[in-house]
This record gives sequence, C-alpha cells and structure tokens, in this order.
Amino acid sequence: MSAPELDTGSTPWEQGPYSIKRHGLSLANCDAEPSQTPGCIQSHGVLLVLRCADLVVVQASENSATLLGLAPDQVLGAPISQVVGVSGESRLRNLIAGDAAQANPLYAFTTEPRGDAPPLDVTVHTIDGVAIVEFEPITRASVAPKDGYELVKKSVGRLRGATTLQHFCTIVAEEFRELTSFDRVLVYKFHQDGHGEIVAESRRDGLTSWLGLHYPAADIPAPARAIFRQLWIRPTPDVDGGLAELVPLVNPDSGLPLTMTYCALRGLSIMHTEYLRNMGVTAGVTMSLRHGDELWGLIAGHSYSGPAHLPLPVRAACEFLAQIVSLQHQAVEAQERLAYRLKLEVTHQQLISQAAQGGGLSAMTESAPTLLDAIDATGAAMYANGRWLRVGATPENDDLDRLAQWVATRTEFESPDRPIYATDRLTEAYPAGESLMAVASGVLALPLSRSRRSLMLWFRAETSQSIRWAGNPQDKPTVPGPHGHRLTPRGSFELFLESVSGRSLPWQAVELDMALRFRTLVMELVLSRAELLTDLNTELVQSNDELDAFAYVASHDLKEPLRGIYKYAHQLLNDASLQGPEHHRKLERLMRLTLRMDSLLDSLLHFSRVGRMALTMEMVDLDSVLAEAIEIVDARRGERPNAIDVPRRLPSATCDRIRVREIFTNLLSNALKYNDKPVCLIEVGFVDAHAPSPGYPAGTSGQTAYFVRDNGIGIEARHIDQVFNMFKRLHTRDDYGGGTGAGLTIVKRLVQRHGGEIWIDSIPGQGTTFWFTLEQAAGR
Amino acid sequence: MLLREAVERIVILEDSDDDFDTMCEAVRHLDFAVEICRVTDGDACVAFLARNTVDLPSLVIMDLNAPCTGGREALRVIKLDPALRRIPVVIMTTSTNPRDVDLCYLYGANAYHTKSIRYPDHLRSIESILRYWLSEVICPSRTVPVT
Repeated sequence: MSAPELDTGSTPWEQGPYSIKRHGLSLANCDAEPSQTPGCIQSHGVLLVLRCADLVVVQASENSATLLGLAPDQVLGAPISQVVGVSGESRLRNLIAGDAAQANPLYAFTTEPRGDAPPLDVTVHTIDGVAIVEFEPITRASVAPKDGYELVKKSVGRLRGATTLQHFCTIVAEEFRELTSFDRVLVYKFHQDGHGEIVAESRRDGLTSWLGLHYPAADIPAPARAIFRQLWIRPTPDVDGGLAELVPLVNPDSGLPLTMTYCALRGLSIMHTEYLRNMGVTAGVTMSLRHGDELWGLIAGHSYSGPAHLPLPVRAACEFLAQIVSLQHQAVEAQERLAYRLKLEVTHQQLISQAAQGGGLSAMTESAPTLLDAIDATGAAMYANGRWLRVGATPENDDLDRLAQWVATRTEFESPDRPIYATDRLTEAYPAGESLMAVASGVLALPLSRSRRSLMLWFRAETSQSIRWAGNPQDKPTVPGPHGHRLTPRGSFELFLESVSGRSLPWQAVELDMALRFRTLVMELVLSRAELLTDLNTELVQSNDELDAFAYVASHDLKEPLRGIYKYAHQLLNDASLQGPEHHRKLERLMRLTLRMDSLLDSLLHFSRVGRMALTMEMVDLDSVLAEAIEIVDARRGERPNAIDVPRRLPSATCDRIRVREIFTNLLSNALKYNDKPVCLIEVGFVDAHAPSPGYPAGTSGQTAYFVRDNGIGIEARHIDQVFNMFKRLHTRDDYGGGTGAGLTIVKRLVQRHGGEIWIDSIPGQGTTFWFTLEQAAGR
Repeated sequence: MLLREAVERIVILEDSDDDFDTMCEAVRHLDFAVEICRVTDGDACVAFLARNTVDLPSLVIMDLNAPCTGGREALRVIKLDPALRRIPVVIMTTSTNPRDVDLCYLYGANAYHTKSIRYPDHLRSIESILRYWLSEVICPSRTVPVT
C-alpha cells in the first residue's frame, strides 16, 4: 500500500464529511479522530447501505465491483434484490424487521460463488434508520464451520478451573490462539492511569516474549477505547489491505456520515495500521475485556505472515468467548482481591502479634514479615517513640521529617473515620518531594496518634523505575512507517516517560481499606503497651512511696542514737580523767563524724519529703522567686567576687513557689560553689517555648526552658549522668565547700515532681549550664 | 507541805534513755527543784494525767516518735480533754518536718522544739524551756476547778 498523503493540520474534516483516505491524521489530533464514522471500509469486503423503508441501496463502498461484480453507480438507487436476489432480499427483510439486528450484526446467508469470486458471508445490522449489509469473502475454507458453542465449549471448561487472575489470563491467551490460529495472542490490561501491561501471552515457537511489557496510554487512543466499550471484536484481516471509501460519503437522505461502530469492515485508522505494521503485524484481531461498562483490557491476536481472515463462525465464537471471559474474569478478580485481602489480613495479624510478643514496633521493620508485606509497596517507614523505623527504599530521615510534617497538615488526617492520605503523584501536591520522586512518587500515610507526631508511611517508586517497558528493538521492523518511530511502542515510550514522571502505580481501594484496618490494630497495640507501661508506673510509684516512707522513718530512727553518740563523746571530751591531746583529737573527730552523719540524714529526710509532699500549684512570678533565691544564697555570695546576671525578666509559670525557689537556690549555690575563676559569673534566663536550642532533648521542645549558667569548673561528659545521683559527689568533701551531695538529687526530684525535665550542657574548665522545664511535655 | 507545794512537777514523754538523761541533766542545772515523772509512750502519758487530775503537772514535754501510741496521738487526746487541755504541752522532737510542726500546733501544742545533734545546744534548749515555763510564765492552777 502506498503511503497516503497525510493532512497534518488540526481537524480539516470539520469543513466536510470525514474520510480516513482523504484526511488521514496527524499525531496531535488522533484522539479527536471520528473513528466511528471513518467514511471507509477495509477493502477486503464490500459494504452496502440500504434505506430501511424500501431496502434501496443509498451508499456503496467504492470497491463493490470486486466482489459483487457491480460498480457503485450500478447499485446506487437500486433495490437490494438486484444484488442478492429475491430470496436474499426476503432474508434480509426478515432480519431487518426484528429488533435483534439493531446495532448487532447478524449472519444472513452465504452467497454462491460467482465465477472466480469466492462465496461471501453476508451480515446485516441496522442503525440510524439504515441497514448496513456487509459482504466478506470466505478465504479459509479449511476452517470447518462449527457452531459457536462447539468452538468455545472446551475453553469455557478450562476457564472455570482457573483460581488466580494470572492463570485465568494465561488460559484466555492460549484458548484464543487455538481458536484463531494467530501467531501470538496477548491479554492486555489497562492500569488506572490508562497505560497498559501485557499480563498473559500465548505465542508460536520462535517469537520473543512480550509478557510483562508496559505500553503508554497514548498507544490506544480514547476513540479506540470508546469503540471497545461497545464492540466485542474488531478484526483486522489484512493490515496492508487498503481502504475503500463510501460512495457517496454521506447518506443522501440525511446528509450524515455513516456510523460504522458495529461494522466488521470498519476502516482502520492509519495510526492503528501503522502501529501494527511497525510491530511487524500483518493481520490481527482485538477483543475487549470488560467489567460492566468499564474496559478492563484487551485481548489481541497478531499474525506476522500475511492476511488472516477469521471466518464468521470463528468471529462469532470469539465474540461469545470474549463475553464469557469478561464475566468470568470479574469473578476471578473478585476472588483474587479477596485472596489479597486475606493475605494482607494474615500478614497484619502476624505483624501485630510479633510486635506484641516483645518485638515492639521496631519488629515491623526488622524481621519478616515487615511493613512491606503489609501493603504492596517499595518502601515503608513508621515514626514511633521519637524515631524513624524504615524498611525498603524510603527517603532519608530528614526528608521523612519534612514529609511527615507536611502530611500532618493535610485535611485527610482530620477525618475521624478515614484518616488516610494516599497519592500516586506526590510532587503535584508537595513540590518539595521532587527529589524523592524516585522512591516516593506514591505515598500512603496514616496517623498513629491524635497528636499526629506518630505516623505510618508506605512508598511506591516512580512507575518508570518499577516496570519493564515495551520497545525491544528486536521485535520491531527496521523500517518505520511515514510517522517515523513515534508510532512504535518504543517511540511513544519517550512521550510516555514524561506523562508518568513523578507517578507511581496507584493505591487500590482494598489497600486503603486494609491500611486503615492495620492502623487500628497498631493503635490498639500501642495503647495496650501504654497500659502496660501505666501499670508498671503505678507499681513504681507505689514502691517509690514505700521507699520514701522508709527513708523518712529510717532517718528519724537513725538520728536518735546519733545524738547519743555525740553526747557521750562530748561528755568524754570534758571528762577530766581522759585528758591528753590524742584522746582529744579522736573525740573531736568522732563528734565531727556524727555531725556529718546527721547532715546526711537531714538530706535524706528532705529528699524523701520532697517526694511525698503535695505541691501547691499556682501561677507564680518566677522573677520574684528568683529574687528570693538570690537573697537566700547571698550569705555564700560574700565569699568571692561574683555577679548574678538576669538579662530579662523571667516569666510567670504554674508551679509550687517554695519548691521552685529551692530549685533556684540549689542551682545558684552550686554555681557559686563549684567555681575556680577569679570572678564567678552566673546568668539566669530562659528559652521560649518552640525556640530551638542546642541540646534540647527530644520530646521536651514546646515548653519554656529555664537555665542557670556559670563559668565554673564544668563537668566532664562521663560524669554528667552521675551528678544527679544521691550523695554522689565528684569532689572530695572539703573541696568546693563540701556538701552532702544531695542538692542536685533534690533539684531533679523537684523538677520531676513538676512534670519537667532537667539536663546539663557543660564544658570542663569553662562552665556548666543547668536547664530545666516545669511542665509536662506535650503528647506525653 | 509547803516545800512539797513549791516543787514544780513535770511529765516527760521520752522513750530514749539517752535523751531522758539529757533532760535530767538540764533539770539538775536549774536553780529550783523539779519533780520529773517519766512516761515512755503516749497511752501511758494520757493515763498518768487522767489519774492525777487533782494535782496536775505544771508542764508536759513530749517526744513525737514514741513507740505504740506516739506523742501526736497523746497530744490530740490531752488537748481534747476538758480536764487536761490547760496543761502546757511542749513538743521536743527530732522531726523538723513542717507537717509535724503544723499538726502539733493545730492539735494545741504550746511550743515546738527540735533536738539538736549538738549536745550542748540540746542541753541549753531544754534548760531554757524549763526556765521559761516553770519560772517566767504563770501556769494554770494545778487542780481542776469545779465548774
């Protein structure tokens, strides 16, 4: 076939009736092609249009002479009996009169061979007040014309035995190849974004497999899809067979072009034939695979060696089988969806019990099954207990932090019933995600707590990274058609890459449902672990209370004998019969030890009291509290040059005034005590809530943090944890003024009683900063 | 009889022999005679006072942490008893707990002192208590007035 002159303008047929032959198509307008009114038929057959009222021929394909021996001008205006005889006309009249022929081609009869011309199968259907009569030569006489049921009986039996969709589709491919004798039969599935994938294949030995290849959505344009929603089968007996235009191009009665949606002979768009030709296909058939009105996919047969005409009974069988396949396919898919759901459910239970049995949430990313088994994804992450748990390909922690922060602002997260955010094109909503495209084009996110700090995320990689694309050059002819490589799967792939950039495979409804259910399970798990923790804490509080009571009583009872020891030592010291410097020294030493013991007991008593006494919480002006504390430590301040700087007024806070004064007193006297500089400098201040601060411990941010900073001796990092220990002193008793070593323990206890935290920044030799908060951190 | 009348009688609730000894030491340092009646727990203290309503002591000095019924309970009972409540009760204890201090005054204690670890301080503290209550203030009459 010679390449037609192609009009590559916009839509020139808008000026008049369209004909593939006259107007061709450009790549830009192929989605606008009026493929249901192509004005042409495939030239291996002949088509006549009859007026229903009187069965007079009003249009004829220009090639009518080839099969009928009558040129268009010989049949136009003539009654159909002149072409098919009186019996033929009567047969057609009967069919046309019934409803069955409406938009549904019916087999009418087979003509006798006429000279060299082969016998012709005649079909008829009505549409828009005309009857379309199609004549097709029977070229494969070898195919025994069995009835449709005989042809598909075995196929239906096999299909019913299929349990998985994959198995089902494979049987479909095999059965259709047997039925049609094509070289290759493919089952082609449309994904939600419109691009297609070959999910099953049956092929002649020696052909390369196309199984698993993906095809751009543009390869099957919208008009073609629309036709397949109405039509079960679309044969292309000869890709190179050429086109025959209708004469006249429009119906002389109505002035309208002929709607050829249901015509077996409907002329193929040049795009389609060129695409097929570029794949080396010489003849083909396409059948639709539908779910209700949805086009789920296509079944395509290819022949690579010349024309392949499917006799009418085989076509009928194919059509019948395509319908059965569509029905059965829905059932198998529902079954498979259920199986997927069950599999996910089992996996979710495993994940939960694994975590409940001591593994904790981290088990969900560390040992199989992992979160990746919970939902089909390429990466998963969970933020819990202040850290990220990751598995598979995910963004880095910093990116996850930012993404989580952004996701938490989504209104989807507010939903009480379905707090879930799912996207298969993250960058469209979250431009900052562009650098994450490769691993996280698809995101499924669910909050794990009301505070929304904790969440679960699943990721899907960009589509172009996760699938195998069609376009193996070995499968292509070396000489492309007039539109060049664009009309090859490989050529359109370049365009396709742009259209799927930043996209992932979409999340299925069942996956969203299952993710929500899994979220509930995880939250229950977290909750039950929290309950366990509460129980443990209650026990701990009880044992702490007992310990406090013990310390209180023990200290009291210890003080009494101590007083006695001191007393007798004192009396001995004054006993005239025991004079002598040695005795004197020892008795004085004994008395000093009892005094020291007494002050230790006092500290212990005080500490236990701090734990037990009720706090008087009220709004307190911390600035005045600090002023009082400074006054209290004034006695010690006299010892060495010093300055206590308070650069800005402390705010007010809800706390126990006396206890907070004690915190400041202790920290200030500590700062004054542990200082070896000529001038002791102390700064007291605070950092506002939400202001970032170095060394701010996780979970503390969000509250005002107060600090007491000195230029003192500092604390070595390895000792920092010990300074809060009871009676733990880092220096010998007499260095830095001594002390029992209980001050910081008491400070820590006081801070904790307020629900706050205390921590230390220190550089040995340069100074120490004590930080503390006075309120419970949010979300805890 | 006159001499007998002049002797101040005090009741001391103290279970520690060492502390009681210090108490006696302090009494010896006084320049007037004091009769000391010692009880070692709260019940005994209340019982003793109830038996002697015709000749009440001038002062009760009590430790809080006595065995069995402690000083707190004894203090409460004494201060609730119309016949006994006018006897001055001075607390002399180890406890520095503000809760104890508040509780004792709430019950009606007349003074609250702590025992110092330092023997001389402890001794001096007792001497001043005795001197104050037995010679400086005017104590209520020793017999229960008939109402």
